[in-house]
Amino acid sequence: MLREHRINKLLIANRGEIAVRVIRTCRELGLATVAVYSEADREALHVLMADEAYPIGPPEPAASYLAIDRIVQVAKATGADAIHPGYGFLAENPVFAEACLAAGLTFVGPPPAAMRAMSDKTAARRMATEMKVPVVPGTSSPVSDDAEAARAARDLGYPVMIKAVMGGGGKGMRLVSREADLPAALRMARAEAGAAFADGSIYIERYVAEPRHIEIQVLADAHGNVVHLGERECSIQRRHQKLIEESPSPFVDDAMRARMGKAACEVAAAAGYVNAGTVEFLVDRDRNFYFLEMNTRLQVEHPVTEMVTGLDLVREQLRIAAGERLGYRQDEVRLRGAAIECRINAEDPFAGFMPSPGTITGLRAAEGPWVRNDSGAYEGYTVPRFYDTLVAKLIVWGADRDAAIRRMARALGEYRIVGVHTTIPVLQRVLAHADFRAARLSTALLERMLPMFRPAEGRYRPVAMIAAALTAYERLGRTPAIPPSPSPGPWRLGARRGWGPRRP
Amino acid sequence: MKFAVTIGDSTEMIEVSGAGGRFRVTIGEQVWDVDARLTPQGISSLLIDGSSYVADVKDEDGFFRVDVQGESYDIRVEEETRHIIRTRGRAAGGHGSQIVKAPMPGKVSHVSVRAGDTVNAGDPLLVIEAMKMENEFKARAAGTITQVRVAAGQTVNPGDVLLIIE
Repeated sequence: MLREHRINKLLIANRGEIAVRVIRTCRELGLATVAVYSEADREALHVLMADEAYPIGPPEPAASYLAIDRIVQVAKATGADAIHPGYGFLAENPVFAEACLAAGLTFVGPPPAAMRAMSDKTAARRMATEMKVPVVPGTSSPVSDDAEAARAARDLGYPVMIKAVMGGGGKGMRLVSREADLPAALRMARAEAGAAFADGSIYIERYVAEPRHIEIQVLADAHGNVVHLGERECSIQRRHQKLIEESPSPFVDDAMRARMGKAACEVAAAAGYVNAGTVEFLVDRDRNFYFLEMNTRLQVEHPVTEMVTGLDLVREQLRIAAGERLGYRQDEVRLRGAAIECRINAEDPFAGFMPSPGTITGLRAAEGPWVRNDSGAYEGYTVPRFYDTLVAKLIVWGADRDAAIRRMARALGEYRIVGVHTTIPVLQRVLAHADFRAARLSTALLERMLPMFRPAEGRYRPVAMIAAALTAYERLGRTPAIPPSPSPGPWRLGARRGWGPRRP
Repeated sequence: MKFAVTIGDSTEMIEVSGAGGRFRVTIGEQVWDVDARLTPQGISSLLIDGSSYVADVKDEDGFFRVDVQGESYDIRVEEETRHIIRTRGRAAGGHGSQIVKAPMPGKVSHVSVRAGDTVNAGDPLLVIEAMKMENEFKARAAGTITQVRVAAGQTVNPGDVLLIIE
């Protein structure tokens, strides 16, 4: 395997859970792994798990995870033959892909030309239009100044959506409902886009009300074979940040899947696309779908596709990068059961989803049948403040959507993270909500639900009061220390610091 | 020992006795036997009359945040006498000022107001860039900005006072 381009050692130009996830597949395939890390990540899990790990600079992404020369230099020095970019950071940067190729390294991703064709979202929209794939009305090129933006927004009609030309992951996106809000929104979108993609250009689209966000996973090899692996329903979002994803979409039947899949494969083929990619669509109430953009990387939410297809997408990426053929046809791709992913972010969902970096003092991940935990965290790990807030992805599989929802609710109940706030409580409330259970989904659903969610519903009020009172009582130090439990217990209770009386 | 335990606007007295992980807890007329395995900042196990609960107790600014079964409570616990002294003195205390503090470390990327400005509830105050996101802070209530203590480009730490609204 992986012989044509001889990938024996892979450098992962990323951090967090995705770097860990890539390392796992490499280990299964017998490939050696090289991690790179910033000064803030010496104790990160990917550094602990890789065969080799090298520092690449200060915590700020621009000085480390975005430092193309430094990363390529490490790859060459350690004898790596290929680089996997993960998602975010340099994953969709054609300059990086070109630098890898120029250095004689295999880039695990699409050819730079295909990436470039898709990375400019306005150019991608023009290409889709040529392929007769419908797009959402909007500016056909980037808008440079505020006056031009105001004109375009007026022509399209409010509300409008500001988007980053080089966008992805919801960065640099802002919904604007009136002209008065446009200048501030443009400023924040440009700042966010500039920070995330080193390019602050934006364009403007008409806002489609209450749409669903449904995307198609495609795989294309270097021999002209393109297949799709069905869809992912990603409608549960807050500020264009996906929170829950599932496959298949309860809204998509076989006929619609075939039509969307065909459109996605055609867009990929037209762009000369090779490797794993995702074609995103907005879907309106009448099941009309509109091309949004193509993500030229592995998606955060790729595990739900893995769970229903049985394919390891990182393995497929590596095989394709090595020049192998897909080896299966569209009619051999089967979707089985239903999978859901929940994003566990270090954010306080009851304080406007404010980032909550800090040390994880207690951790017990969900386990059990058909539960998968893709995480970059461990007990004692400090979530740094320099990177995005994703701590772990919890993925479950069930025979059907209902079974998967029940399983996810069960798994979220088991998951405990102490020391940082997480999105777990809000994920639990969404999973229990009648609209989610009945699959009445839209990208506006979560924002509508959130004001209804209360941190406490009163059911466990006495338990919480007792826990707080006992903690205060113990802290006053008037009682002798609790003797250590005779056994280590089901989790490492107080493993880091024992409970004892305060020093006088 | 008696504690005043406050959640939101309601305060209840809780009496705690016991040691070595075994406690008796009394709230009003109710009495529970509790077997507790507590950690300073971590996952605590409580067996309350045999019912098993796992609670996470975390120190926040002057109170505990307790997470139990997906619910989250902010709870203030004081010794009874201390509570009585504090609440007696409260009537004289001023109110109505909003002190906006940084909830997380980050960099101020934009300040929208100046001292002397009047703001309405929901008006943008400033933006802090943290963890790759632009987080906008809005006024919780109408008022006048009396102090702006930060400027764009400045790095802030949790608890730093950003501005004050009267």
